[in-house]
Amino acid sequence: MEYTRFEKARIIGARALQISMGAPPLLEVQKKDPIEIAVLEFEEGVTPITVKRERETRIRPPV
Amino acid sequence: MAGKTKTLSKKENKAKIVEKIKKILKARKDYLPPSVIEELSLKLTSLKVSDKKFELIVEKTLESYKQHLIDANEACGIIAAQSIGEPGTQMTMRTFHYAGVAEINVTLGLPRLIEIVDARKEPSTPMMTIYLEEAYQVNPKLAQEVANEIEVTRVIDLCHLETDITNLTINIIPTKEIERKHTSLDKILNALDKVPKTSSRIVDGKIEVTMDEPSYKRLQSSFKTIRNLKVKGINGINRSVIRREGREYVIYTEGSNFSEVLKIKGVDRTRTTTNNIQNIYEVLGVEAARNAIITEAASTLAEQALIVDQRHIMLVSDLMTYDGTIKAVGRHGISGEKSSVLARAAFEITVNHLLMAGQRGERDPLNGVAENIIVGQPISLGTGAVQLMLDFNKLAKSK
Amino acid sequence: MYQLTKMEGIIAIPPEYLSKNLKEGLSELVRERYEDHLDKEHGFVLLTWDVKPIGSGIIVHGNPSIYQKVSFDALSFKPVLHEVVDGIVCKVAEFGAFCHVGPLDALVHVSQIMDDYVDVNLVNSRIIGKESKKALALGDTLRARIVALSVSELNPDELKIGLTMRQPGLGKHEWIKEERKKKEKEAK
Repeated sequence: MEYTRFEKARIIGARALQISMGAPPLLEVQKKDPIEIAVLEFEEGVTPITVKRERETRIRPPV
Repeated sequence: MAGKTKTLSKKENKAKIVEKIKKILKARKDYLPPSVIEELSLKLTSLKVSDKKFELIVEKTLESYKQHLIDANEACGIIAAQSIGEPGTQMTMRTFHYAGVAEINVTLGLPRLIEIVDARKEPSTPMMTIYLEEAYQVNPKLAQEVANEIEVTRVIDLCHLETDITNLTINIIPTKEIERKHTSLDKILNALDKVPKTSSRIVDGKIEVTMDEPSYKRLQSSFKTIRNLKVKGINGINRSVIRREGREYVIYTEGSNFSEVLKIKGVDRTRTTTNNIQNIYEVLGVEAARNAIITEAASTLAEQALIVDQRHIMLVSDLMTYDGTIKAVGRHGISGEKSSVLARAAFEITVNHLLMAGQRGERDPLNGVAENIIVGQPISLGTGAVQLMLDFNKLAKSK
Repeated sequence: MYQLTKMEGIIAIPPEYLSKNLKEGLSELVRERYEDHLDKEHGFVLLTWDVKPIGSGIIVHGNPSIYQKVSFDALSFKPVLHEVVDGIVCKVAEFGAFCHVGPLDALVHVSQIMDDYVDVNLVNSRIIGKESKKALALGDTLRARIVALSVSELNPDELKIGLTMRQPGLGKHEWIKEERKKKEKEAK
């Protein structure tokens, strides 16, 4: 799934908050900043968060 | 004949290119809107490119198209408002502009923009641009004839008027204008029938109007009526000006009467337009009105050399017309019809809205932006509209 | 009565539980949240097991916890009005005797102990009938009927249960036995 920039921001933000409040990071990282860790997790695709969409954003119209 | 076969083959060629684009898109499982395919194919028909380059062009088009797509939950209304509002501050407050050589003045600049957005019934300076059908458009004589049909011609435009105080009559003396405007004394006489309490007849190539009751006062008032009596033309159209644009002649008019003008022979109904949006709505419907709002607003801005993306204006226009009628932006239109009480109260006349809502026992589901700001919740736009869930699978896969 | 039920609820998962072992964590959280607590519908929950998440948990703005809907099996004790229960006297007070009924405590008011005026002896923790000389003491087992149920406004975990023993077939277990013997004799 492709994320919009809002979704990306929200996912990283929510995950960074979790990490800062004590959630164990899902990657072996040397970084200390929760935001940096959250960004890395997002880039690796391991962030355990999905987006609930009311309806799937479509780029192409229904066939 | 030769020309005809050439255009035919051009058409075929274009169809081929459209097919080719569609094939590439299908292979890539991608999508381009029909209008983009149309434009692209038009440009590609006149070019000779190799298949490889062709595909590259389509690819670049796709890339550019996707870049222009807006993200879901983007606050497009606010962006549109700012994008139109900021150039609006730079507009001259009051400008009158002369449409070319002719002295037709039209409201432009900020007052015109406000007029459009307020969905006024009648613009302060109604104006029409009348295009002509092929047979008429290149011939200045024919064009003038159509203009004469349209423009209101009054008695005063055609004749001298004299009052004979001794006999208490009004003498109408024709001038050369009568021939130029393709009318005759008989037609004027017909028109004079409508003037109350008078009788007219032709005497020695003049028209003599006598009062039914001899009174100087009557004479005075009848004189005024006759002076401005319409002989021919369409109500509301006071002046017309013919201008040559490229190879064709176009008629510009001061005043507007869309439905009547369309009935005139020689008028190209597909291109003729007016700046009276309400008129367009009545004659052609909402879709046409929507387009009229877009073109009018865009041209008003463009005339002031302000560059605003068309889509911002389209959004405003869509919002004004989406329910099938033209609504103004403001208290009496869009903002006043918002379903949420709090949103309406936030805009204007707060107390009244809240009081009425209380009396009716209205409910507010807090769907909009204004409501949620009032209550202090994240708004349903941008990151606020994103709903997140925990992904068990990814968590289970983690080390 | 005791009952086995399927329960559903929403629990907040604190961020430190967000690891591979979330399932075990969920059971722990459910245990913490529900066991030893009073549930409006299911009564006093004693045990929970077989915790299953329903759907995916929701993440709220500005809150690191995850709100997860879960279903689980539970063993609970739910007192029902007019239900007959057995209990053990655990405390004697001026106004009556408290007794354990299942995992909860209930009160038999002095007026509801027997068809007799009673003396309350707080020193010996005894309640004695003035004429019949029947005594109810600490540790006695009894059978009673639930006649009042109310959840405390101050503490939603506290359920007030009112009992009565002034009905045929109710009372201290010994009294019931005696009564039965008497009846059998009369029948002969």
